[in-house]
Amino acid sequence: MSGNNHQFAFFLGCIAPNRYPGIESAAIRTGKKLDIDLVPLKGASCCPAPGAFGSIDLNVWYAMAARNLVLAEQMGMDIALICNGCYKSIWEVNHKLKHNAELRDAVNEVLKEVDMEYKGTINVYHLAELYYNDEICGLAKLKDSVNTPLTGVKVACHYGCHLLKPRKDREFAGDVIGDTEHPTWFEELVDALGADAVEYRNKMECCGAGGGVRGYDIAHALDITNEKLINMTDAGAEAIVDTCPFCQLQFDRGQYEIQEKFGVEWNLPVLHFCEMLGLAQGMSPVELGLDLHQISCKPFLDKINGGQ
Amino acid sequence: MVYSGKKASESNEAPVEPRIGVFICHCGTNIAGSLDVIAVKEYALTLPHVVVSENYAYMCSTPGQNMIHDAIEKDHLTGIVVAACTPRLHEPTFRTATANGGLNPFRFEMANIRDQGSWVHMHDWDGGTEKAKDAVRIAVAKATMLEDLYPMAVPVEHRAMVIGAGVAGIQTSMDLAKAGIETYLIEKEPTIGGRMSQLDKTFPTLDCSQCILSPKMAEAGRMPGIKLYTLAEVEAVEGYIGAFDVTIRRHARGVLTPDEAAARGIVGGGCTGCGDCSQVCPVVRPNSWEFGMAPRKAIYIQHAQVVPLIYTIDFDACVKCGLCETACGTKKAIDLNMEDELFTIKVGTVILATGYETFPIEEKSEWGYKLYDNVISSLEFERLICASGPTIGHLIRPSDGETPKSVGFVLCAGSRDNTGIGKPYCSRFCCMYSLKHAHQVIEKIPGCRAYIFYMDIRSFGKAYEEFYYRIQEEGAKFIRGRVAQIQELPNKNLLVVAEDTLLGMPVEIEVDLVVLAAAVQPTAETEVVRRLFGVSCSADKWLLEAHPKLDPCGTTTAGVYLAGVCQGPKDIPDTVAQAEGAASAASIPIHSGQVELEPYYAQCVEKLCAGCGMCVGQCPYSALSMIVADDGRTVMTVTAAKCKGCGTCGGFCPGGAIRMQHFTSPQILAQIDAFFLGGEQ
Repeated sequence: MSGNNHQFAFFLGCIAPNRYPGIESAAIRTGKKLDIDLVPLKGASCCPAPGAFGSIDLNVWYAMAARNLVLAEQMGMDIALICNGCYKSIWEVNHKLKHNAELRDAVNEVLKEVDMEYKGTINVYHLAELYYNDEICGLAKLKDSVNTPLTGVKVACHYGCHLLKPRKDREFAGDVIGDTEHPTWFEELVDALGADAVEYRNKMECCGAGGGVRGYDIAHALDITNEKLINMTDAGAEAIVDTCPFCQLQFDRGQYEIQEKFGVEWNLPVLHFCEMLGLAQGMSPVELGLDLHQISCKPFLDKINGGQ
Repeated sequence: MVYSGKKASESNEAPVEPRIGVFICHCGTNIAGSLDVIAVKEYALTLPHVVVSENYAYMCSTPGQNMIHDAIEKDHLTGIVVAACTPRLHEPTFRTATANGGLNPFRFEMANIRDQGSWVHMHDWDGGTEKAKDAVRIAVAKATMLEDLYPMAVPVEHRAMVIGAGVAGIQTSMDLAKAGIETYLIEKEPTIGGRMSQLDKTFPTLDCSQCILSPKMAEAGRMPGIKLYTLAEVEAVEGYIGAFDVTIRRHARGVLTPDEAAARGIVGGGCTGCGDCSQVCPVVRPNSWEFGMAPRKAIYIQHAQVVPLIYTIDFDACVKCGLCETACGTKKAIDLNMEDELFTIKVGTVILATGYETFPIEEKSEWGYKLYDNVISSLEFERLICASGPTIGHLIRPSDGETPKSVGFVLCAGSRDNTGIGKPYCSRFCCMYSLKHAHQVIEKIPGCRAYIFYMDIRSFGKAYEEFYYRIQEEGAKFIRGRVAQIQELPNKNLLVVAEDTLLGMPVEIEVDLVVLAAAVQPTAETEVVRRLFGVSCSADKWLLEAHPKLDPCGTTTAGVYLAGVCQGPKDIPDTVAQAEGAASAASIPIHSGQVELEPYYAQCVEKLCAGCGMCVGQCPYSALSMIVADDGRTVMTVTAAKCKGCGTCGGFCPGGAIRMQHFTSPQILAQIDAFFLGGEQ
């Protein structure tokens, strides 16, 4: 099941390299064991953030995302990325430009100023999607790459919004990945690492941050985050796993903010799936930058080390 | 075939100089408000052969029509052009006016300067005016070339066929039969009755649905003028208005009616509906008529009031053990080797009444239908609350059989949904039946709370608004907002998460049972039948009426009519009203005994036809065939009554041997020349 190397242009986004560099390193290093070769997408800008940019000026959002797409087109590679917000911008703009000639022409008019042209020759994937896809990786291959299974730990999967919604604009959501309201593919990925994914109430609820809410009304955002934390811990979760650095920021930094503002203390470790995969493939917590997380991952690490 | 008049090709009078009259309609301000009608009128006078040009506020009014026939008489016109709305709306009007003036009605040509002119160029006065001039010039060019044409009359078979035997089909059939027309009623299920027979009560009167329908079902089953075929489907359709040859497949029922038994020489035999066979049948299956909530045997009737009262064998489930044959005894009603039979019926007109099914609400997975035990559909609720239903009218929740103490009703479950998953339209009767459901739980279960989650309450009918107030007074709780999500709690209760748009805040309400008022959609079979009869449908698959206001029962296919929900969502009163309308419309051609067909049919010019036969396969209406001509050559011939004048063959013929009347090549070329070369010809 190896030797078939799949190359992708790796779109980093902003939050992962700036706040959780461990996600970036984990994605690249774990990919090597799964024959997923992540080639840096040189010259990429912010995706741009769908909530912040899209809420203010859609045309800027289209143009900036298109520029990132053109960079990958010039490399002749499909894009892989690690963030739901990036996914919304890069995947959805790609989808819209492919299906809307008028919009494509308008965007190309802007790109002309930097001597670029969007052609619509590539696809965009979230890494989670590639892990799940049997043609690229698949659960069996993922399982094979694990040398230190994360047994004995209960985690709550947080899918995040932009990966699956809006359903009408997400091609994979209907068939490969399945139902958007009651999906199970993320749990299957986590189970492949040996951890125990718990079902919890209102699983598909937002982390609270997206769509500019965190920037606009932090108290409201934290209220939603707090509700998720209640539901996760009620189900016995000992850690949160996500597919999106921005959700991760909201859960991780948000717990500190909830403590500051409302005096509620959770101390629930928050990990990106790539970080968790890194641990399962034997990378050390320091290599994964887990010490840079706001909420200590120690209880989680103790649990998995105890489980071995 | 009755044939009146002469063939166009025979009218070889000396050609006369064409004299065309042009009439520009203002259509109030519809046209005159967006383009310069006076300029168009004056322009028309500059065109060759135009001797009269007039403008008038409403050409379709009586004075407007009088202008046309006065001008024909005064100026000896040979052709009429009216520049106005569309042929679809007013071609018949102006043809009549032309005929009243003494001209052949097919000497009239219409220029569309409203729908394709002033309406789309509302804010472009100059552009709209120029386009109107172009349209008039093109129409005049054709009008100079028009010939006299004579409609054919075809006889109409004194029989009708109704497809679908719900309340619409039953009502239509009974009306037709009472009007003395032999009517074939075709139903795919083993019994007639349709959706209405599955309902418990009807709003707003709370009449028992079966109590008002059963007598009708029984009467329809008894009427000598109705030939009822259940467990039957349309297999193929040939022909045209007046003479549709419809092939029916009768699925093997496995059980003989008394008549069928008599035909086989079994004296006093055939099914009497006694049920002895079902008693001994060892195979148990879910009864789909009860949505799987009750058992039935492999030999069964769907419910106690079926018409005809004849048992049916489900051959997919039957193990052919023969116990039923023994139990049936001397009646000898059971034939385990029965096969489907095909037969063809010739009818004059056809009414489609194929009804509806509910939208698969599990596709809106946020509501958890088919995922959570206690989320049911409104039709399932009807069976559970019905005294003749699987629970003898005791409403229970599926997970534990307990009586619910609180029920949430989710309206617009898949209707008025622009996400691309549900349906964009309003299903129209769900508001009212959900009010009725709320009333039923409040009435039947003391202390039970009813929550109605609604977007708007559409209580549109007679006494419906009053019914709405009544339910409010009975204490149902109304929450205005679409349900976002339904979550199942560990005790199998459901948490309904919605927005209350009146309070401007999210609400979460815990209930024991949720009822989804599912959107409705045409049945899958409707699409099959629609294609067989060549009936159009709208984007959402409802069958398309000929005109939404002025011809709501007809279709664009002559002789085919619509009744009931297959044409669009409607409640029982509207369904029955449309059924009576369709019966009336379908009986007109039958009672008049003949119909006129538009003389647009293709003609084969035999001396040009090489007999290649390529056109025969091209014709969508099977109107063409090959014959041996008098000189021994093989040539094509047209069955005029089948031809719809679509022009496919005429455009295709490699030898140019097919002449499309009213759309001849010289006429079309004259129009093209007029457009490109301007007024000079």
